[in-house]
Amino acid sequence: MSRALRLEKDRWREWLAALQKGATVVAPVRLHGDDVAFERIDSPGQATLDFCNTQDSPKRFLFPQVEPMLRYRRNGGYEVNPIYDQEKRVLFGIRCCDVSAVRFMDLALGVEDLPDTYYSLRRANTALIALACDQPCGDSFCVCADTGPFLSSGGGYDIQLTDLGDHYLAEVDTERGEALVAAASALFTSASDEDLARRQELDAQAERSFPREPRLYFAASSRKVSLDNVDEDLWRRMAHWCVSCGGCTHICPTCYCFNVTDAQVNGDGLRSRRWDSCQYSGLTREASGHNPRPEQLHRLKRRIFHKMSYQYVARDGMQGCVGCGRCIRVCPGIRLGITEVGEGIRRAEWK
Amino acid sequence: MEVTETRPNIYLPQIARITDVRDETPDTKTFVFRLREDPAHQAFTWRPGQFVELSVFGLGEAPFGFASSPTRKQNFEITIRAVGALTAALHGMGPGDEVGIRGPLGNHFPCDEVRGRNILFIGGGIGLPPLRSLIHNMLDERDKFGDITILYGARTPTDLVYKQELKQWEQRGDIRFMVTVDRSEPGWQGNVGMVPTLFPKADVKPDGTVAYICGPPVMIRFVIQDLVSMGFADDNIISTLERHMKCGVGKCNHCCIGHKYVCRDGPVFSYQQMKGLLE
Repeated sequence: MSRALRLEKDRWREWLAALQKGATVVAPVRLHGDDVAFERIDSPGQATLDFCNTQDSPKRFLFPQVEPMLRYRRNGGYEVNPIYDQEKRVLFGIRCCDVSAVRFMDLALGVEDLPDTYYSLRRANTALIALACDQPCGDSFCVCADTGPFLSSGGGYDIQLTDLGDHYLAEVDTERGEALVAAASALFTSASDEDLARRQELDAQAERSFPREPRLYFAASSRKVSLDNVDEDLWRRMAHWCVSCGGCTHICPTCYCFNVTDAQVNGDGLRSRRWDSCQYSGLTREASGHNPRPEQLHRLKRRIFHKMSYQYVARDGMQGCVGCGRCIRVCPGIRLGITEVGEGIRRAEWK
Repeated sequence: MEVTETRPNIYLPQIARITDVRDETPDTKTFVFRLREDPAHQAFTWRPGQFVELSVFGLGEAPFGFASSPTRKQNFEITIRAVGALTAALHGMGPGDEVGIRGPLGNHFPCDEVRGRNILFIGGGIGLPPLRSLIHNMLDERDKFGDITILYGARTPTDLVYKQELKQWEQRGDIRFMVTVDRSEPGWQGNVGMVPTLFPKADVKPDGTVAYICGPPVMIRFVIQDLVSMGFADDNIISTLERHMKCGVGKCNHCCIGHKYVCRDGPVFSYQQMKGLLE
């Protein structure tokens, strides 16, 4: 399904106010300087739609960095009670790469035969309102990953907004999207044919304006990674730049490695899961001390394999890298953003 | 209006009580468990080769394979060596103490699938317990299988698990059982040497035989090489892979080998499948 509506630009915050009556709204908020990040908002005035992309993706609202799973208490015998977050949320103003990342997480964690209990519950209560990109941003290369700058129907959003100057085009793609419109139906009118034509123009124009760098030529690098045709010495030389901080994986909107820990809180036991990282040696270390990925090169190889290999595309139904470019920006070793590593692999060259 | 959880929570443990603990070696014990809630206990079953995530509340979860057979389903047994903090705490527990159990998890050893075939078990050290689950299952359906040979090795006679049971296996007329140790101790009159030194004595033949191997990774590697050179087909060599399985349900990414998850795609793999894995 897809229905095109028009929303006047000076009225989008009225819509947010209406959405807040039925759900917690999470929207881009300007923090300081040019930093924009997703936050729960109390009033529509806090939200901004004037940004390139947010510092981090909205991953933590679906897969929190620390997530309580269950409480246990010894009362004679043990009682165990799960902790469920059933808050209804609207994620407002998500860029297309991040919507695609949610689609990936739906596939990877919400796989149909055995859904991740906590992720799928949050996801079922979360609506996505996307903001299409009319220009490339910073380090992104979504155009290589087929995750932007605009999404088509079925791309994972409930509603996709496009900035058409004095108004927004709102493409409604799901029943949940229809319900979001119905919350303030007086604000919406039918979009015109010119609106739709203008959207196509903006999409094409944005695609044309991507810079040559950074780019990731997946075809060649994915093939080599999938067939294990990358020289171990190349992995070693690339991994030399890694300080094992895990930043690339924490900032990545599709990384979901986690660890589970028990703690005592106010006399009760609390079991939580928290983000882990394939860049940490502890991820694979066994109780005996044996570690099947003993060196950083094995861990860099692991990260790239999960993001790029055909094996994972076949397993998850989608490539793990959505081209947001955040790992390029966050790497303190400077060089281990996925594009530079991918190019190193493609050219079998690393200086 | 909110969506609430209706499917079973894949991370929620059931409570099990320890009903018995048996010392096996100075660092290894066998624990017998029963689910606390009777209906759950009655409904609980598994296949040899599967495992559970066992919670010691306050310390977390760790994976352990079943050591007993579903054909003897009164209670279930797990044989555990004290290696880290969780297993050390477990070794301090006794009958009546409670743990959490999630499972059964993972795939299982082929059993019904190999009816009529000859069966070769090769166990090393603490690798015998998961095989024992399948051995019991096959012994309880003895007429459905051809020759059954069990070869078991440990570092020293002290490190042998199930010492009483091994004596019973030696006396059975319907199986061949041989045991060896790497290093002898006073009083030991049996074989000395690595497990493969038993192959000629046991007259191991590849024809129609399926081999099940479980033990330390280095032993598995050498035994597989020997079996291959003896003419065993890659898909008739069945073993288990060891990784740090944290969630047990293919989500947390701790146990991946390439795109395979030891906890869901395994822990049982044929040698043919292992060769296709990319680390």
